[in-house]
Amino acid sequence: MSNTRRPLRGRQAAIAIAFAGPWLLGLATLVVYPFCASLYWSFCRYDLLRPPEWIGLDNYRRLAGELVRGDGFGQALFNTLYFALVSVPLSVALGVGVAVLLAGNRRGRAFFRTLFFLPSVVPLVAASILWLWLLDPQEGLINAFLGQLGITGPDWFKSPNVALLPPAWLSGTWGIGSKDALTLMSLWGVGNFMVIYLAALTDVPHELYEAAELDGATPWQRFLNVTLPMLSPVIVFNVVLGLINAVQAFTQVYIVSDGQGEPLGSLRMLSVHLFLSAFKQLDMGYTSAAAWVLFVIIVVVTVLLFRSSRRWVHYAGATR
Amino acid sequence: MKHRSSNHAARVTLVALALLFAIPLVWLLLSSFKSQEELVAEPYRLLPREWRFENYRDAVQAMPYLRYLRNSLVLCLGSVTGTLCSCTLAAYAFARLRWPGRDVLFAVLIGTMLLPWHVTMIPRFLLLRELGLYNSLAALIVPTFLAEAFYVFLLRQFFLAIPEELSEAARIDGGSEWAIFTRVILPLSRPALATVALFQFVAAWNDFSGPLLYLSDPDRFPLAYGLEQFVSAYSSQTALLLAAAVLFTLPIVVLFFLAQRTFVEGFRTSGLKG
Repeated sequence: MSNTRRPLRGRQAAIAIAFAGPWLLGLATLVVYPFCASLYWSFCRYDLLRPPEWIGLDNYRRLAGELVRGDGFGQALFNTLYFALVSVPLSVALGVGVAVLLAGNRRGRAFFRTLFFLPSVVPLVAASILWLWLLDPQEGLINAFLGQLGITGPDWFKSPNVALLPPAWLSGTWGIGSKDALTLMSLWGVGNFMVIYLAALTDVPHELYEAAELDGATPWQRFLNVTLPMLSPVIVFNVVLGLINAVQAFTQVYIVSDGQGEPLGSLRMLSVHLFLSAFKQLDMGYTSAAAWVLFVIIVVVTVLLFRSSRRWVHYAGATR
Repeated sequence: MKHRSSNHAARVTLVALALLFAIPLVWLLLSSFKSQEELVAEPYRLLPREWRFENYRDAVQAMPYLRYLRNSLVLCLGSVTGTLCSCTLAAYAFARLRWPGRDVLFAVLIGTMLLPWHVTMIPRFLLLRELGLYNSLAALIVPTFLAEAFYVFLLRQFFLAIPEELSEAARIDGGSEWAIFTRVILPLSRPALATVALFQFVAAWNDFSGPLLYLSDPDRFPLAYGLEQFVSAYSSQTALLLAAAVLFTLPIVVLFFLAQRTFVEGFRTSGLKG
């Protein structure tokens, strides 16, 4: 019995490995090897012209220095965090808001859903060209419209200001700038998240709302006590996905800043900073170290979010 | 009474938001027919005073549009083929076969989805360059034949839902795993295959960082990258830029309307079954 089973099982394993073969090859060559190589190179000086030369923690020391001074990596990290921490909560709020409005409006729902979803399928390259023009300080639609109302519009992508940073309010240098313009653009593409919320909303049992209504709950109370808890697992998932996307945002940042991260480095996000330091400065060691720091940040944030979410997320049936 | 007024307010908010979402697209389309002078003088005007259909001809002539388009199509079709071939195979191994190390490797697969592309960017680039793929669309197509974790995950979820009895029946009839894969599983998975094909087509069409990294010869640029080259060179000819952007966006929007269900379902399943 065991004699016939073993070759059979071995055969099964061989077949399975053949099926998984292309992925395994990809894993080894395009993930595991690059993963190890970049870790090693993060401790090296490597400019492609000469072979990598071990320099210990120098690259990480340089990163720490830049973090303290707030230039280079430090500035890129600030830019990235500002964009991620402003755009992700806003897009959750807008996505949930639109989904709730859509769920409550049966008439024309399909039409509106299509309309809100459509901007999210516009390719980022085209969307960037479009918003570069819409938000052009002189010739763009939005400032021209504001001008008609007698308002001088902000400089959008051409200004290093930030709108939502408390220290900047106090020093009187606040204003709408490049990262806020980028946020606006990303909010326009919120449709793909919105359909996920909408789908989750239509899965909420109707009895819950009826019970709440019988208890005399106002619409706002029903939203807080029924809708939001029922949506919370999807929200957590979208926040994690949104943060990962925002931290890695490259295409739109590269295009609206003409590949430089300007003005005054205000759009030099991590992804642009890493691209420039690798392929313009040919500083492969430093870039690898920075990429590893970014990776560790992403892992820590993801784990923290999922950990803490256990406390405030409602998983249906989890109480049993 | 109070109920009705709050309903009314919700409806008004919805329509106002819908307008805000629609305006950029409407202006993109209509402004692409305006003359440059008109676009600068009164950008807020809805309809063009004079419809300049020539903008489209000029935009296509200003850059090697047809060459870019051909490159884009090669890239899209090549990478869709690669993705479908490799990801279905791996997903089958994860969903329908029992083998040692499967669950560990599946955890690894999920882990690779969290890995930022910057970590692997440099070694990957040097490796593909070493293989002689630099400055060739193959640098962007070949990796798709080695499977992408996200699609493997998506297909695995779908394959798992197919009743095991169907495979068992085929096995009793003496069918090989290959026969079960091609004659039972794949035909039943058309919706999932369509989702993956669609997502990969769109991803390849839109891909900007890939060509930026791997291509240097303008003859090989796909549209997404070719169009960006056009941004700084033609920054004073906004109308042409907008026309080019419309031409680039249109196929995706048409595809969206043809396959709306697949698009939306794809987003839903990829989001919800995590």
